[in-house]
Amino acid sequence: MQLFIEQVLNGIGNGVVYGSVALALVLIFRTTGILNFAQGEMALFSTYITWKLASESDGFGLPIVAAIGISMAIAFIAGAAIERVLIRPVEQARSPLNVVIVTLGLFLGLNSVAQLIFGTDPQLMPSPFPDGNVELFSSGGDAVVVSKATIGLVLVLLAECLLLWFLLQRTKLGLKLRAVASNPDSARLHGIKAGTMLMLGWAMAAAIGALAGSLVASQRTGFDGSLMQIIIVYAFAAAALGGFDSLIGAVVAGVVVGIADALTIQYVDPLEGIEVVVPLGLIFVVLIILPNGLFGRRTVERV
Amino acid sequence: MKRGPRPRWLAALLALALVGAACSSRDDDDDAQTETGDGEAAAGASIDTENCAGDPTQEIEGDVIRLASSYPQSGLTAAFSEIARGWESYFEKVNAEGGVEIGDRTFTFEFVDMDDQYNPSETAQNVEEMVGQEGDDAFVTFSVVGTANNIAIRDFLGELCVPNLFAATGSPAWGNPDYPWLIGSTLSPYTLEGQMFAQVLEEQQPDATVAMLVQDDDFGRAYEESFRQAIEGTDIEVVAVERYPTGASEVAAQITSLAASGATAFFDGGTLLACPDALTKAAAANWQPITYVSATCASKTLMGLAGAAGDGVYTAANLKDPLNPDWDEDPAMQEYLETVQQYRPDDFDPENAIVGYGYTQAAVLVEALEAAEAPTRLAVMESVRNLDGISDVGLLLPDVSVTTSEDDPYMGESLQLAQYEFVGDGQRNHFALQGELVDFEGRTLDLTPEDLVTG
Amino acid sequence: MSMPSDATGAAVEPAIGTLPEGAEAVTAPGEPPPLRPHLPRPVLIARIVIGVALSVAALYAPFYFTPENNRILSQALYLSIAAMGLNLLTGFTGQVSIGHGAFFGVGAFTTAILMVDHGWTFEATIPVAAVLSGLVGLLVGFPALRVRGLYLALVTLALAVLFPRVASKYVEGAGGVALLRPRRSEFASLIDGLDDDQWAYFVCLVLAVVLFVLAWNLVRGRMGRAMVAVRDQEIAATTVGVNLAGTKVGTFALSAAYAGVAGSLSVMIDRIADATSPILYLQRSIEFLVAMVIGGAATILGPAVGAFLLVWLRRNTEDLVEGKEILAPAIFGAALIAIVYVLPEGVVGGVDRLLARVGRRSSGSLVRPAPASASDVPDDSTNPGGSHEEGT
Repeated sequence: MQLFIEQVLNGIGNGVVYGSVALALVLIFRTTGILNFAQGEMALFSTYITWKLASESDGFGLPIVAAIGISMAIAFIAGAAIERVLIRPVEQARSPLNVVIVTLGLFLGLNSVAQLIFGTDPQLMPSPFPDGNVELFSSGGDAVVVSKATIGLVLVLLAECLLLWFLLQRTKLGLKLRAVASNPDSARLHGIKAGTMLMLGWAMAAAIGALAGSLVASQRTGFDGSLMQIIIVYAFAAAALGGFDSLIGAVVAGVVVGIADALTIQYVDPLEGIEVVVPLGLIFVVLIILPNGLFGRRTVERV
Repeated sequence: MKRGPRPRWLAALLALALVGAACSSRDDDDDAQTETGDGEAAAGASIDTENCAGDPTQEIEGDVIRLASSYPQSGLTAAFSEIARGWESYFEKVNAEGGVEIGDRTFTFEFVDMDDQYNPSETAQNVEEMVGQEGDDAFVTFSVVGTANNIAIRDFLGELCVPNLFAATGSPAWGNPDYPWLIGSTLSPYTLEGQMFAQVLEEQQPDATVAMLVQDDDFGRAYEESFRQAIEGTDIEVVAVERYPTGASEVAAQITSLAASGATAFFDGGTLLACPDALTKAAAANWQPITYVSATCASKTLMGLAGAAGDGVYTAANLKDPLNPDWDEDPAMQEYLETVQQYRPDDFDPENAIVGYGYTQAAVLVEALEAAEAPTRLAVMESVRNLDGISDVGLLLPDVSVTTSEDDPYMGESLQLAQYEFVGDGQRNHFALQGELVDFEGRTLDLTPEDLVTG
Repeated sequence: MSMPSDATGAAVEPAIGTLPEGAEAVTAPGEPPPLRPHLPRPVLIARIVIGVALSVAALYAPFYFTPENNRILSQALYLSIAAMGLNLLTGFTGQVSIGHGAFFGVGAFTTAILMVDHGWTFEATIPVAAVLSGLVGLLVGFPALRVRGLYLALVTLALAVLFPRVASKYVEGAGGVALLRPRRSEFASLIDGLDDDQWAYFVCLVLAVVLFVLAWNLVRGRMGRAMVAVRDQEIAATTVGVNLAGTKVGTFALSAAYAGVAGSLSVMIDRIADATSPILYLQRSIEFLVAMVIGGAATILGPAVGAFLLVWLRRNTEDLVEGKEILAPAIFGAALIAIVYVLPEGVVGGVDRLLARVGRRSSGSLVRPAPASASDVPDDSTNPGGSHEEGT
């Protein structure tokens, strides 16, 4: 039983990682209608910037929280720039496939540029959370603990969800963002600057991604260019599972995916080495039963 | 809109023309006429040359010996390109000092390399291009990185009888007698690492229960099977094995599972980021077994990530570690640093051990070339397969002697135990050598399960 | 496009149902206009001449180029087959898939396993590979009915990620690594006078031509119209009797079979089926998509043009990065973005548009073509955008 709980906690630890990246994916989808394959690599690049700012031995040695903040600001600007310069001209040709190609081009290119600028060695990211564990309970042998960092990460995610929900659902700005995502032409007719809203959507998603990447890297024993490659697949799975409409859905689904992965590693020996089958198979199955994901809303299509 | 049908054909024609302009024509190639070997093996040779598609007894024309290598230069494994820094520096130095003498002629080194992004299919393509379909281009291939990558080219090179030297992994498969034209490097076979850990346990914990973390592929299988063979007949027992997905960078769930077994010893066969992650997760779980890490993990960056969690772990080595202060005044170490600083200084990190590894392979190769009877592929291969106790070259440890023979296809068979000393963050933490050199000379084949060699 | 004008300069609307200027009416009055207008003789002749020139070039190429270059050409050929398959599904039917690398892998491993483990001859394995990957496509196509748009893209992504992992677990090749390499002699030329590399090229060429012609016929016919209807307006399509499930699933299976054939051919050209790299088949999926888009989605020649362009790009980025090899993927990515920027409809679409503009100017009159009708459909460079549902 104890082992089960420990693995569930492992799963949650990873799950919040997947959920935080999924959050960025869902955000960009809700504000721009685009599936951004480059999200992971954009987050990776920002993570390297955070590291460079915070590292004492190789960088500027700033306090980690400040470094993350600055990195998020840089990502904000960069995200807006990417939308304006790379995505918008292509999207105007009205082909969603072309936008996919641009995001794939970014996906291929950003990792390589990061390696050039920051080197290929794995690096350590300082953690903004206090060290140590919190004891949940003890049963006989060792106590079952959860790290303070995991709790911290969960809290950060919940705060993000709350803030974003508030922004999107309760503010005028959020209304404009959603209007543009839903129907850009109609929104323009209402006087909304669609272009600005799209830039804002990308900017926010890039900043969220920077936060996610930095926090994820801080929870790992070192990170390198491969950081996002596996995570992005799980993050996509989580976003799909949660339904691309729902921010909280993405986080919950991320945790579900993480737990499923950890439990498979522990209990399902025949799948050793290919445990990734379970979370991916899970989204497959769920989507068949619930085509809009666990938390998605059914949409009405007009003909 | 009037849609002209003509453009589509035109577009295709343009594309074809583009391709044509970029490519050379069939007749441009002045294919060297290679005669097929006449099947006579040189006197005393142990390699059968009857089925060679080319002539391995043909001497090198001119005074340049061309080495070809294929290794990752971009993508996630680009860090392996540092190996080349080491050997390129050494070969440049040899060139500057007049070249290498093979037989009674002198040659300078020329090397070509291509990026394969660690992809075996790319490696195969690269090697076929650099060596030529008839084997008439590069003389030998050298230091190709990756087990699957070398396996992908061994048939092609074997048919052409082109030596593939110093394959840069510790796979026991390099001892396969069906492939006499392929040989590994001074990297000790994974089998021997299992042996070293078994020896440590027999001394310190004869009734140890062992948990193993290995990658879910041939690399992990080599560790697992050979370690199991190593502990046969002892009181040591393997109680838990976790195989993690290839390339994974975190192994929390696997470690939780292993720690729950209560094992008193831990073989951390993880590589790249999985290795230090296993150590930190084990420490976080309050699990303190006697631990061994794969030699692939014994680098400044990886152990640096583990930090204090790496204190006291064992590994095995046969090269001098630039991080170890004991070698600061060592003349060989100083010469190594100077050489690389002179010929490949850009972005050189003197504490990166794999540069030293590349450097040492070049040094051993030069010794082997100078011992070869003639500047032919056959003679060079024979020489590398019959090394007579090469020592004190490159960064080889003082008592290490590199020997190969007909029954002994492995170079790196002497190892010394090392234990990690963590002094503090940002300090010069390193593996400190322990005890004496352990010599497995000639025994690797016996100690390795047969399917790992010939499988 | 502006309105034609009559002698007085007033705008004149061409009567609905009339053919574009220059086209000859070939139907009897009272009959509906043909699906494709018959073309004026000079255009037809030009078309034939260029077609012949291209065919001659394609047939002569292997005798002119070195074996290495023939191999590259052959790679472009099998890549174009896979891209064509994807085009049927994504370009014409609007079902986005980034998982066709998995079907490619199924085909490749089918061939490799049959050859290495069971001693089959290569040619016999091709149909088996096609059928097997088609079957897998069928299996994926059915649940995919429930899942649409971006979810489908993600499910297919999952496929491409899963395939090498699962394959590496169950495939064991020589040396214990998960890759298979049939011997070179197994692919020896079956025709005297043709070198092995030339023979391989021709096998690829013949299959590519056959499969392209098949696709062309498909797209021109009823199935093609159904596919485009599904892409552009799925719900409306059902109201006019398009069998939605049949079209989608059938196209899925067919496109998977194309990818499977490409995979099978890749074993002949590259002589390797490799499961050691977890991202290889995802990279392949991306390659097919890229080839399709930069060539011109929903066109017939687009995938082929895109495939050749892609292969050419890859070869040439290597030269640009001497000394900074680590940047190779970045240059490649930048090139992709640039192409999509400059030619949003792909090369074929772009050239099409350019020549149409040139043709319009030289003909002197500004002809507005017949309003969009069924004739506007299949094999011309239709805009692959269509309407996109957001959120589903």
